[in-house]
Amino acid sequence: MKNLIKIFISLSMVFSMFSCSDDFLDKPNPNQLGEGNFYANEVHVHQAVMGVYGQLQGITGNQWLYSEMITDNTTIHFDQSNRGNAPNIESFEYWQYNTSTGRMYNLYSDIYNAMGNINLILSKLEGADIEAGAKAQFEGEMRFFRAYYYFLLTQYYGDVVLVTEPLTDPSAAFELARSPIETVYAQIESDLAAATVSLPHPNAIDASDEGRVTKGAALTLAGKLWLTRKDYGKAKTALDQVAALGYGLLGNYADVFDPTNKNHNESIFEVQFQGGNDLGEESGFIYNFYPRETNGEVTGFQGRSGGGWNIPTLDIIGDYEDGDVRKDISLSEGYTDMNTNDFVAIPFIEKYRYDHTIEGRPDSNWPIYRYADVLLMLAEAINEVSGPTGAYGYLNEVRSRAGLLPATGGLSKEAFRTVLLHERRIELAFENHRWFDLRRTLSETELIALLTAHGELERANQTTPRGDYDFSAGDYNFSAFEILFPIPERERLVNPDLGQNPGY
Amino acid sequence: MKKNELLKRLRAKNGKRPYGAFIMLLFFALFLNAQNIYSQDKTITGTVKDEAGELLPGASVLIKGTTNGTETDFDGNFSLSVGNDVTTLVVSYIGYTGQEVAIAGQSSINVLLAADASELDEVVLVGYATKRKKDIVSAVSVIDLAEVEDVPAASVERLLLGQAPGVNVSTNSGRPGQNLDISIRGMGSLGAGNDPLYVVDGFPLESSNGINPNDIQSISILKDAASTAIYGARGSNGVILITTKKGTIGKTTVTLDVTTGVQNVPDNRRVEMMNAVEFGEFQKSSWIDKYIASNGSEPAESEIPAGIRNPESNTISTNWMDEILADNPLFTKYDLSIASGSEKTQSLISLGYLDQEGVIIKTNFERFNVRAKVDTKITDNITIGMNVSGSMTKEKTIGEDSRHQPVGLALWVDPREPVYDEDGGFNTYLGDRDTPGDLIFNSANPVQILHERKTTQNSNSLVANGYFEYKFLEDFTFKSTLNATLNNGRYNDFIPSTLSGFVWNRPAPNNASLNENYFESFNWSADQLVSYNKVFNDVHSVNALLGYSSQEATINSIAGNASKFPDDEIRFLQHGETSNVSSAESSWSLLAYFAQFNYAYNNKYLVSATFRREGSSRFGSDNRWGNFPAASVGWRISEEAILQDVSWINDLKLRASFGATGNNDIGNYPSLSTLGTADYITGGSFQAGKILSSLSNANLGWEKSEQFDYGIDATLFNNHLTVVAEYYKKTTTDMLLAVNIPVITGFQSTFTNIGKVENTGFELGLNYKTNITEDLKFRSNFNISFNKNKVLEIDGDNDEIRSQNSFYDGGASVSKVGRPIGMFHGFRNLGTFSSQAEIDASPTQDGAIPGSFIYEDTNGDGVVSYDRQDWVEIGNPHPDFVWAFNAGLDYKAFDFNVVFTGAQDYDIISAIQATTMNLDGVFNVQTRAKDRFRYTTRDPNATIPTSNYWKWERESNSWYVHDASHVWLRNVSVGYTVPVKESSFLDGVRVFVNGDNLYLFTDYVGNPEVNANGGISPGRDNAPYPLPSTITLGATFKF
Repeated sequence: MKNLIKIFISLSMVFSMFSCSDDFLDKPNPNQLGEGNFYANEVHVHQAVMGVYGQLQGITGNQWLYSEMITDNTTIHFDQSNRGNAPNIESFEYWQYNTSTGRMYNLYSDIYNAMGNINLILSKLEGADIEAGAKAQFEGEMRFFRAYYYFLLTQYYGDVVLVTEPLTDPSAAFELARSPIETVYAQIESDLAAATVSLPHPNAIDASDEGRVTKGAALTLAGKLWLTRKDYGKAKTALDQVAALGYGLLGNYADVFDPTNKNHNESIFEVQFQGGNDLGEESGFIYNFYPRETNGEVTGFQGRSGGGWNIPTLDIIGDYEDGDVRKDISLSEGYTDMNTNDFVAIPFIEKYRYDHTIEGRPDSNWPIYRYADVLLMLAEAINEVSGPTGAYGYLNEVRSRAGLLPATGGLSKEAFRTVLLHERRIELAFENHRWFDLRRTLSETELIALLTAHGELERANQTTPRGDYDFSAGDYNFSAFEILFPIPERERLVNPDLGQNPGY
Repeated sequence: MKKNELLKRLRAKNGKRPYGAFIMLLFFALFLNAQNIYSQDKTITGTVKDEAGELLPGASVLIKGTTNGTETDFDGNFSLSVGNDVTTLVVSYIGYTGQEVAIAGQSSINVLLAADASELDEVVLVGYATKRKKDIVSAVSVIDLAEVEDVPAASVERLLLGQAPGVNVSTNSGRPGQNLDISIRGMGSLGAGNDPLYVVDGFPLESSNGINPNDIQSISILKDAASTAIYGARGSNGVILITTKKGTIGKTTVTLDVTTGVQNVPDNRRVEMMNAVEFGEFQKSSWIDKYIASNGSEPAESEIPAGIRNPESNTISTNWMDEILADNPLFTKYDLSIASGSEKTQSLISLGYLDQEGVIIKTNFERFNVRAKVDTKITDNITIGMNVSGSMTKEKTIGEDSRHQPVGLALWVDPREPVYDEDGGFNTYLGDRDTPGDLIFNSANPVQILHERKTTQNSNSLVANGYFEYKFLEDFTFKSTLNATLNNGRYNDFIPSTLSGFVWNRPAPNNASLNENYFESFNWSADQLVSYNKVFNDVHSVNALLGYSSQEATINSIAGNASKFPDDEIRFLQHGETSNVSSAESSWSLLAYFAQFNYAYNNKYLVSATFRREGSSRFGSDNRWGNFPAASVGWRISEEAILQDVSWINDLKLRASFGATGNNDIGNYPSLSTLGTADYITGGSFQAGKILSSLSNANLGWEKSEQFDYGIDATLFNNHLTVVAEYYKKTTTDMLLAVNIPVITGFQSTFTNIGKVENTGFELGLNYKTNITEDLKFRSNFNISFNKNKVLEIDGDNDEIRSQNSFYDGGASVSKVGRPIGMFHGFRNLGTFSSQAEIDASPTQDGAIPGSFIYEDTNGDGVVSYDRQDWVEIGNPHPDFVWAFNAGLDYKAFDFNVVFTGAQDYDIISAIQATTMNLDGVFNVQTRAKDRFRYTTRDPNATIPTSNYWKWERESNSWYVHDASHVWLRNVSVGYTVPVKESSFLDGVRVFVNGDNLYLFTDYVGNPEVNANGGISPGRDNAPYPLPSTITLGATFKF
């Protein structure tokens, strides 16, 4: 019996050595922070807000596809030997995109992904321990971004699902239908109103915060919103407020894009990048815009060529007036092959091409809003309200910097509209304005006519050679329904109640 | 010495009692004082012989109804102390009929065992305990290692190939050192892993890496839930139990195994590509077709661009596959083991060395193994043991399964290019033609890549386990084991500047780059077991087991890459101009309690039940614990009176089982939300940014499997034929699936427990052995497995899962409700359009031209739409059945063995064909491209499309799907046991010749077991490392 007890005690000791506490099973992930109580203080919320800015880099880096290449501004450097991108990126050039196009889904999901973070931060701000001024700025920024992204969504997709609360329990998301565009506009309006109040004046921003959004950005977006909604009076009110914040055109058009001159007086909001180091914050977009198969003549790095995307069309090249200083700053019509000394007539975007020290890591920022845009929008608003008379000054301020003669009076409202659209095309070339400008200022018929003409021009005289490859019947075949992008098929598989835009 | 003698000695070395191991000194001290509490006052001695009078060393002698006993020594003698109340001993030995011997007052007993008898008394490891084969009432396969002893196996999985029904091993790659794919009873999971759990000497491991097949004493495979439930959350994909060899009692035995041989890739498994002249002709005729398409007439010879006008002028022709294949690369293996021991202590030391050169030049795999195992009896009731093994592997490797890797490149790069320049250096940039009509892609030289790119993978592993076993109160045993594994690995890949780019248009020199990873993992587990064995009144046999287990693993890694090295000589991260370094840590843990109860009545009615409760760190805090019950019953009808007189039935058992198991193979932190990084710049300074990168799910729990199994085990015709037949049905629910959610949440998917998959199957194993004459013995073994896999449920809103590769890589998969997992998915190809009129009369297919594929408008809307609305299932990667047949003959000193394996009615989707049959002119193409649709002849029956460009040719479609049914002459071996004089210092010598993966009968060109992606997109061929046939010579020397 003594032995039995001894054994029993020993066994108990053995078992208790490895106690069955649940603590043993708690394994937090040491590599990453969890959501948990992350959003509780200023340091963490600042990181979360910076995360939203960080996501803007990626989203902005892809907008050329949806806002420029889809239009008459740019095309592709046709890749005869690798047709792999045909059903994806190229489908935007040829208007062959459909509900399953990969890049179409990326556009949709990237924006909603950012929206998730914005809504999460806004929901946590209330309870966070943050000094009032900083809290107001965070709130203003998040509401600006929410407005900015919903504006993009409405312009691309029309009616969209409006989410303003974090959906951390996904089951709720299956219930949400698309809201009418007017409801989304109302949300944008209210977010912008709040953001305009909360955001700092551009001159009041700390040097260390340079690059964050200010009142200027919120008011510019408000101006754009009202122009789009054709409430030109409200547009003018908002844009006048921007003008009153003290912005001005730079003397030299090239300085606007120069990475040594970031966040200048003409810049209202630009996406910040930094190259030349290992921080991972460089801007890669110009590598997409370089022609393919160069030996480094364009990239500046031996043997390195580009993606061949967003190539300026012969059409836009021909659209520059004689003597326009912006032409050579914005684009090149080709380059000289270093081996053969032959000129290779593949145009490419020049305005973001600056020397950088490390291959693949350029330093350029991306302009979202700048004062020239505001001036031209003011001209647009005035023309629509009361005709061109009061609008010439704004237009000519932009033209004179370009080394062009001022537009002279006597134009009809319609003719002035055309002049303005042209000026926007040239001044803001390759800055992702073209698609929205066309949609805003042209009627459906005019838009289809313009795009069809562009397609016919490219079919007849391609900007880049296609070799032996014929266009297919469906290429450059633009229908009215394609003005709105399709809601991605994947989303409708997950939520069959989600409607689709007509035609898809 | 006769062969019998040698075999016996071989067997003597392979004692039968498996043990787990590592020492627990603490317990040892605690129990040292414990006393013998039952009386042992009688000593029985004796010898065990076979019918021919040969002594049997290593035979087991047990007191009936207990596990107490001993083994015979080298001379077949035993000595055993027994209590006065003990009346009967049980004597058993592998390959012989066990025997019960009444003591009846004798103190010396001589036992004669009948040879070649039923193996039903063989003791098999089943979970935490051993059982006699005849008492097993669940689905357990035991591998007969003697059948595979000559196979040049570099890994454990190779030993299992074709050896057990329901255990499917695929030689998916020929990369030296590559682990083979293994699956047990089909794919159970859509979201988590499908790999079985390995338990080596009691220690659960996630892979069999580093184990020397030569160290293995026995392998049992647990297939149904009743046997695997005791492994709880990791049991649902089956469990492979491996026991390593241990020391013997008696004379020290030294065994040396030497194997060496050559490997080659047979011609009939190679895709035939065009040579230079053929490719020139292809270019020229393609150009002519394009001309006809745009001009409506054939060109004059003078109009054809000069650069491609004269194909026969291509006098240089390189067969790149020949160039990257090595000339008779060697397979070499040495194993040395020294087994020794006394009654009290047995030990075994083994050393192993494997050197396998690859069939691709400049690749190879080397492994060094060492193992030491000691078991010792401290007192009559206390046994301790430890087992320490180390392995070191070194691999010079290459990437595979991509057209940008050497094997893929060797298929498509320009055949008109020489390997070397005139000055003897490498021709570094292939296909740089730049002449009109010549479109071939530029590329790096695959031979140069193999010579100059250094990709090495080294890993070291140290496994130590020990146990302490204490027998008390006569029928109880307490066993404590502690196991630990330390692994580390280093991967190093340097791409020198001398190589041209693997993507287009990057002629050398390029920036040199380096990728380097290092990881270290530590994994420990501790198990405490109490077991009870007792036979009441000679008819009620009870054994029970209670246990507790804990395990924890931590992996630390550091990874870096750098590029732009000033030269190719110094290859360390800090020498690169740009570099990145990152490190990470992850860990998991589990706790479990388990119990097992077995009861047998009169060896006739058998009942077994297990229960395990387990908690895992991988799941949500609200749903961490799972319960895994199982039960099985068996009825040995042959013990019933009515069958006693049926002489041809030796043993017949019916059994049924049910159990629940789990699967936690989903990575370490899926239930937690995580914050990712999205940094920014403000004021010209770096700002750390955080974004939510996954949603949390505190309810995330186990993936559960429930399995029914019904089986018959029969031994018939004088023990000549054994039959095992089983039917099973396994249902997996609550799968850990990354389910698609509306992206308006901010996320595309989140892990949830949803969905249901069912596998039903039938397995049959037949084993026939007979002695035709005294000198001629025949043995054979056939097994066949039918498995049907079906997705029953995914989720209302996610009722299919698509896996899409980039379209130009060909081949997509879909898993739909009501259908098997991973069916091939794409357009159904109806041939080629022969004319514009035919195109006009067909559903709209944008971009179609004469000679392009006709895709079926499956939804009948009049449009073949490229948004995949017309995609359907186009192939099935799951065979209807797989089978294997082994046959062997022993004639005097010769032995002969042959193995066939096969699989029937399944498909492979050839992704690489989207490159090797891409007729744009940018790749070299297969010779069969000559039979493509030509604009000169317009053959309406052409199945190969035109070389004129048209859209979406390479979208996944049924043209890429091929039947891969096959019969494989898998292995042939002939051995000879050399007569050795009694006086010789040698105890035995056996020599053999073995041929492995010898000949394949199939219509599929390539390896019919490829699986480039694995997971839920199986059966994809994308230029894997080719699988060689291997011819080896070997010898075993015993001293």
